Amino acid sequence: MSIKISDGQFKDKVKENLQDDFMRGAVSSAQDRLRFRRLETAEELGNWEEWRSHGEEIRKHVLENLDYYLQELSENVQKLGGHVHFAQTAEDANRYIEDVVKKKEAKKIVKSKSMVTEEIGLNAVLEKAGCEVIETDLGEYILQLDEHDPPSHIVAPALHKNKEQIRKVFAEKINYTKSNDPTELARHARETLRSEFLTADIGITGCNFAIAESGSISLVTNEGNARLATTVPKTQITVMGMERIVPTFEEFEVLVSLLTRSAVGQKLTSYVTVLSGPRREGDADGPEEFHLVIVDNGRSKILGTEFQSVLQCIRCAACINVCPVYRHIGGHSYNSIYPGPIGAVLTPLLGGYDDFKELPYASTLCGACTEACPVKIPLHELLHKHRQVIVEKEGKAPISEGLMMKAFGIGAASNPLYTTGTKLATKVMKPFMKDKEFISKGPGPLKEWTAIREFPTLKNERFRDWYKNREGGDKK
Amino acid sequence: MIQQRETFLNNIAAALGREVNKTKKPERNWKHNPQAVTLTDLSQDELVQLFKAQCVNIHTDYVETTAAELKAELSNRVDMYGGGPISVWEDERFDTYGLGVLLREEWPQAGVEVNEWDIQKGADNIKFAEKANVGITFSDITLAESATVVLFSNGGQGRSVSLLPQTYIAIIPKSTLVPRMTQAAQAISKKVQREEAVPPCINFISGPSNSADIEMNLVVGVHGPVKATYIIVEDR
Amino acid sequence: MKVTLFVTCLVDMFETNVGKATVELLERLGCEIDFPTAQVCCGQPSYNSGYVEHTKSAIKKMIETFEHAEVVVTPSGSCATMFHEYPQILNDEPGWSARARLLAEKTYELTDFIVNVLKVENVGAKLNGEAAYHPSCHMTRLLGIKDAPFTLLSNVEGLEMRPLPYAYNCCGFGGTFSVKMGNISEQMVDEKVDAAVSTKASILVASDGGCIMNIAGRMQRRHIPVKVMHIAEVLNAH
Repeated sequence: MSIKISDGQFKDKVKENLQDDFMRGAVSSAQDRLRFRRLETAEELGNWEEWRSHGEEIRKHVLENLDYYLQELSENVQKLGGHVHFAQTAEDANRYIEDVVKKKEAKKIVKSKSMVTEEIGLNAVLEKAGCEVIETDLGEYILQLDEHDPPSHIVAPALHKNKEQIRKVFAEKINYTKSNDPTELARHARETLRSEFLTADIGITGCNFAIAESGSISLVTNEGNARLATTVPKTQITVMGMERIVPTFEEFEVLVSLLTRSAVGQKLTSYVTVLSGPRREGDADGPEEFHLVIVDNGRSKILGTEFQSVLQCIRCAACINVCPVYRHIGGHSYNSIYPGPIGAVLTPLLGGYDDFKELPYASTLCGACTEACPVKIPLHELLHKHRQVIVEKEGKAPISEGLMMKAFGIGAASNPLYTTGTKLATKVMKPFMKDKEFISKGPGPLKEWTAIREFPTLKNERFRDWYKNREGGDKK
Repeated sequence: MIQQRETFLNNIAAALGREVNKTKKPERNWKHNPQAVTLTDLSQDELVQLFKAQCVNIHTDYVETTAAELKAELSNRVDMYGGGPISVWEDERFDTYGLGVLLREEWPQAGVEVNEWDIQKGADNIKFAEKANVGITFSDITLAESATVVLFSNGGQGRSVSLLPQTYIAIIPKSTLVPRMTQAAQAISKKVQREEAVPPCINFISGPSNSADIEMNLVVGVHGPVKATYIIVEDR
Repeated sequence: MKVTLFVTCLVDMFETNVGKATVELLERLGCEIDFPTAQVCCGQPSYNSGYVEHTKSAIKKMIETFEHAEVVVTPSGSCATMFHEYPQILNDEPGWSARARLLAEKTYELTDFIVNVLKVENVGAKLNGEAAYHPSCHMTRLLGIKDAPFTLLSNVEGLEMRPLPYAYNCCGFGGTFSVKMGNISEQMVDEKVDAAVSTKASILVASDGGCIMNIAGRMQRRHIPVKVMHIAEVLNAH
């Protein structure tokens, strides 16, 4: 898998997913619950806007000084005895990791949840190299067992699946014989995965934030799988997007406080793990070898542009959890491992407009995403910027729309044209008026509108006509 | 070993429209500092109350005791969890709090297997922890807001003890209690600035492991311990 | 106070009654109305679709049209928001940007103007019935006007306000979104309609022509007998 999850078209995927009643019920109830919990924990913390502003200034500062902090981080990792590989591309990152795997003659690899490894398509590469790669986050594990079903949410990847579907997958793939009770299902996964952890040669993790001052990486989880993947196997490989870094523990703490509340409405998740290099002399657990792979894969092309603020993202999914569009179409419709508002901004930047030019339009620009973002990324403004780029730079907007908008621009800028235009429209629309109040079947661009709703008829007396007529004597 | 750093960083600097900076520490002049006033006005007793209340939210049993009663409480808790085998850190605080007798005499005499982490035993420590029913550690720093124990793992304080056993008990000296993660982060950052080694693994643990990956239903106990108890104890 | 009215193109063409109500309401509150007939559309349809350059001439036209005004009042949170965006849109043209800023600073959404400028919380309206209020996204989130409509509605004699479930979710209008992504928009407006129906209120009040056209159009199609009213109409009822 890479950033693109299938060959399907956005329109078709939306159509298909709108039919998925379970998914839609699951997504809307998850949204409702997570929204409530996020607001509750934000309220409890107090000064939430102050916290957001602080989060924002930290993230902005890091992006502006990214070279320095990556230098500091890599120096410190090296001092601790770790290896650092800077990978410009997905292929480069995959090649390095494959080399490590081959050198270690590794057969079995356990992975904790990582979006960036999804993005670079690491699993496929390692499987091709003959390794068994096991996702250990419960949600990711379910998806992997189910013929590599792609994630539909960046925090709750299996949100679209119901427990009966999961029971069937478990029964088919890992000899599960019990009910569809989530606790029983989870306990079975625990048993099955525990033996995998104990026999794995390598643990691969993502990274929530690297801490430059100490050469540390951190993992924010609830299940404990990331701890297992970094406690038992002899080799640890951590893959991070190059922007996921903070200067010191003090900024780390602020972003973790924002992340856990925004993602799952928890004050802290069950485990926040900070790892600094490989095990030291006298340690009996933890990896003997540590590799940090820092991935660019298109991010530097975003730096220094009007889209830079999207790199402030801390992958909490708060925007996804409030998006009224995601609410109905679910994650898979976006055809990207990054769905929702953040995905609609980030995906065209990393994956190109050719495949993803519809995404910026999958929004009403309602601003719910921007309001929810804990690091104040102006998401709806970035969606709008994408539209501008698509129209004005890429020239990818439909020609008919372009003509219409041009005509609109000319018409709106000229009052005589606007005035006669709106007057004429009344005449043009006459034949389509079913009764006096509404139009049920409209022509041209109205067709799409009236497929769903009635359209109001243009009034014989426009407001401006009424106002003009009353100015004479009707004034109270 | 560091590979391909030069071009990577040059590329970033070019995108930012300036020369690469590897040496000049950027000034961090934050305009906002909300963490400085968050929960900092609470007394030690209020922090204990906050901590206790949060334990309910994270499905963790809370026990408050005196140093004198600690041994009995701990023994009692282990019984409640179904007894041994028991995996513990190598930690002088067990002796400070008078628990050495329990670990080395009373439990073994009662047929309860105990493994005090022993670096000489290498990977066997992990194997034991994996089979253990209870893991026991002290807390190095404790966060009231989130009911979190902070564990510094290195040497005798193996990472596995709080992770692999079926259940987990943390012993929390009252004096380790601070308002929130802010204070722990400051303490760790100070260590870094003093060029003291940061432990290779620091865990902020808030209750047993859990997951909501199946239909958003909370399942307590996934890969890590399925149950957890915090015993908060008057300092000795 | 002399108030220059920006009536919005939707109201001008489709909702004459909303325009009338706005004029009558403001006059009742002692304002003198000025309606520059040179006004056109705020430019949102093309701007939001990405045609920023094409929109600039319309924007400049509007700045010129309202330059003389003491205050500009509009019965639309969304169009008021657009006026507030003007300075940033014309950022590259300092002269225009400065003029745009002056316009933005004196532009108010209707309820915000009544509560926060006129300092009136009870406009003396009377309307019997139960109503729910749909807060528009642009007005609440981008313009930050959250309380003013509720303050005014709660003082309407005879009107019982009921909370609208999921009020924070967009109604699915989104300008061209409503036709470009019709099937998604349909689901969104249906959820909004269902939420309104669940309150058992006979009136749904909103402050934006776009939302009203969308929600009322869908209700009409589904033959749901809830009356969708612009807040100006409610506040002008007596």
